[in-house]
Amino acid sequence: MSWKRVKVTVFRFDPRTDREPHYRTYEVPLADGMTVLDVLDYIYENIDPSLAYYSHAACRYGVCGGCTLLVNGRSCLACQTPVTGDITVEPAVKSKVVRDLVYEVR
Amino acid sequence: MVRVAVADVLVVGGGGASLRAAIAAAERGASVLLVSKGRAGRSGATLLAGADLTLDGRSLREFGFPGAPDDSPEKWMNDIVTQGFYLNNQRLVEVYVRDAARRVGELLDRGLEVLGSAERAIDTTGESIAGVLLRWARESGVEVVDDVMVVDLLLSGGRVAGAFGLDLKTGETMVFRSKSVVMATGGWHKAYDPNAGSRELSGDGVAAAYRAGAYLANMEFVTFCNNIVYWPPKWRGNLFLYILHSLAGGRLTNCRGEEFLRKYDPVVVKYGTSMEWNKCFISIASALEVREGRGSPHGGVYYDVGDVPWEEYEERVTKFYPNWRFKGVDFSELAKMLRDRVPIEVGPAAEYFDGGLVVDENMRTSVPGLFAAGECSTGVFGANRVAAATTEMIVEGAIAGEMAAEYAKGASLPEVDDEQIKRLEERVRGPLRREEGVKPVELLRRIQRLAHEKLGPVRERRGLEELIEFLEVIRRRDLPRLYTTSKSERYNREWVEALELENIVLLLEISAKSALMRTESRGVHYRLDCPHTDNRNWLKEVVVRRVGEEAEFTARPVAVTLMPPPTGIVPYWEMMREMMLAHSDVGGSH
Repeated sequence: MSWKRVKVTVFRFDPRTDREPHYRTYEVPLADGMTVLDVLDYIYENIDPSLAYYSHAACRYGVCGGCTLLVNGRSCLACQTPVTGDITVEPAVKSKVVRDLVYEVR
Repeated sequence: MVRVAVADVLVVGGGGASLRAAIAAAERGASVLLVSKGRAGRSGATLLAGADLTLDGRSLREFGFPGAPDDSPEKWMNDIVTQGFYLNNQRLVEVYVRDAARRVGELLDRGLEVLGSAERAIDTTGESIAGVLLRWARESGVEVVDDVMVVDLLLSGGRVAGAFGLDLKTGETMVFRSKSVVMATGGWHKAYDPNAGSRELSGDGVAAAYRAGAYLANMEFVTFCNNIVYWPPKWRGNLFLYILHSLAGGRLTNCRGEEFLRKYDPVVVKYGTSMEWNKCFISIASALEVREGRGSPHGGVYYDVGDVPWEEYEERVTKFYPNWRFKGVDFSELAKMLRDRVPIEVGPAAEYFDGGLVVDENMRTSVPGLFAAGECSTGVFGANRVAAATTEMIVEGAIAGEMAAEYAKGASLPEVDDEQIKRLEERVRGPLRREEGVKPVELLRRIQRLAHEKLGPVRERRGLEELIEFLEVIRRRDLPRLYTTSKSERYNREWVEALELENIVLLLEISAKSALMRTESRGVHYRLDCPHTDNRNWLKEVVVRRVGEEAEFTARPVAVTLMPPPTGIVPYWEMMREMMLAHSDVGGSH
């Protein structure tokens, strides 16, 4: 098992209280095979439980599409995208942000 | 601010049972509102189902598939009841085998994707079932509300008056007023880690109905899926090796390298590995190895390809999963591990909840105006499910929807109780108001670990008592102290988990107490300290309902129609063998 630390930069924005979005960077120990969703779970569980990302009804099998995000500017399913180095994570639709990485679909 | 929505029929849930119920109610002329915790048709256990829609072989042939020629609904009923160790509500089994073909046929007519067929099943995907149902629901005029968690049912003079929900995206509370309600929220997988469900399944509907006074039964019966990956962590919780074991063979060993399934009766091993009996048999056998100190470092057992030559093994797999791909996932890395004989640790994970809301053959619960369908109801599969839950959801969903619409026709819209809404508002916002206390995710992890250990496939009195004591302390001391770090009402995961935890603790406590009360082993409930199936005293369901703040447990005889149950007290493994041998001559894995 290889362990290294990666920097995960995350888009943060609460339209109700923030004037504009900002980014926060977290350091996450990376275990072999961790996906973007695993990394976000790690942040929620161990560093910052205030982080919002579509997680409450995520299927984790690449089927539901609920975890669609921009990773380094490219659209992908967080549960199916492996993390190998530093990443920037943003909502797929920045104009419809509910909070942080959660956005309106319809 | 409280938002209000009104409909004749309110349907709660985002999976197949819920969609099918909503369709049936709408087709009967009711206005229907479907509230889903995730995205309807894109959440719930349906989406992840394999999926084999079971129906009898004769009907299968009538649809033009090569099903078992000599099969009949009667034979199928025989098999479902014996697989269920005679704890099935036989009235519900009759409904299941009677309606299965018609309900499956409707999906085929609407373009269900067919991958193949077996003696008693059509192979399709949960995604396709959910897709067909969602389209159909939209065409029928069902109004869908996504990402709203139903927190509790509203009552008016002992009758259901709708539900109280929380919009998870905006943090607004919502009042849904309706003449009748169908509960179709599935299982409570989240009480366990690992589990084979999607994340939102925390038993909200079952818990809410219980609080509203509905009877629950069979809560001690939890079906575990065997061969779920425990280690390496990358694949933790994955069920691919479950599929591979039945598809391509391979073997399970303990830490001494023993093929422990060989210890069992050859008949049990044969049925227990070639049919969906595997979930019951292999889960218990694996958990026994672990409990007796012969497990792997991460609490499981080992799976490898055994004496199947690699080329042959790979050929069997890639015939169904070309290039080692399944759904969106690439399994070539796992394939490499299997080829190189890297030991992979596997074990049981909670998959299906046999217990739930007590319903009659019209899917009525004991609360007037409240109906239930699918996994959140109980009865059809008794102590062990082998036939498909996907068929259950469309059969029961259709009935529940029709009956809820009929009920609504003759009913007025009940008034809602403002006091109840005020109390719910207080309760829901509690975790947001508290500045310190217990972190939801930390409490959840502790609960999940203990549930897996004490209320897994193998139970015994002491462990159950410890779990019950633990949960009682949690309920009194920790639940009222749950708090959120962020006070934002917009998509706050800690807030959702705090609300879910109330349901998880409630249902686990009921399940553990039911398991303690059932002093025998039957189906997926195996008690080390009571290793007999007791047909003299326990052809009974453990039924529970809320009386004040306490749960009242009783045992009542199971509903028998066509098949008289066996008598006497039989060693569990002998009973399992008998039930396997009672299978009719149709072959296949169901």
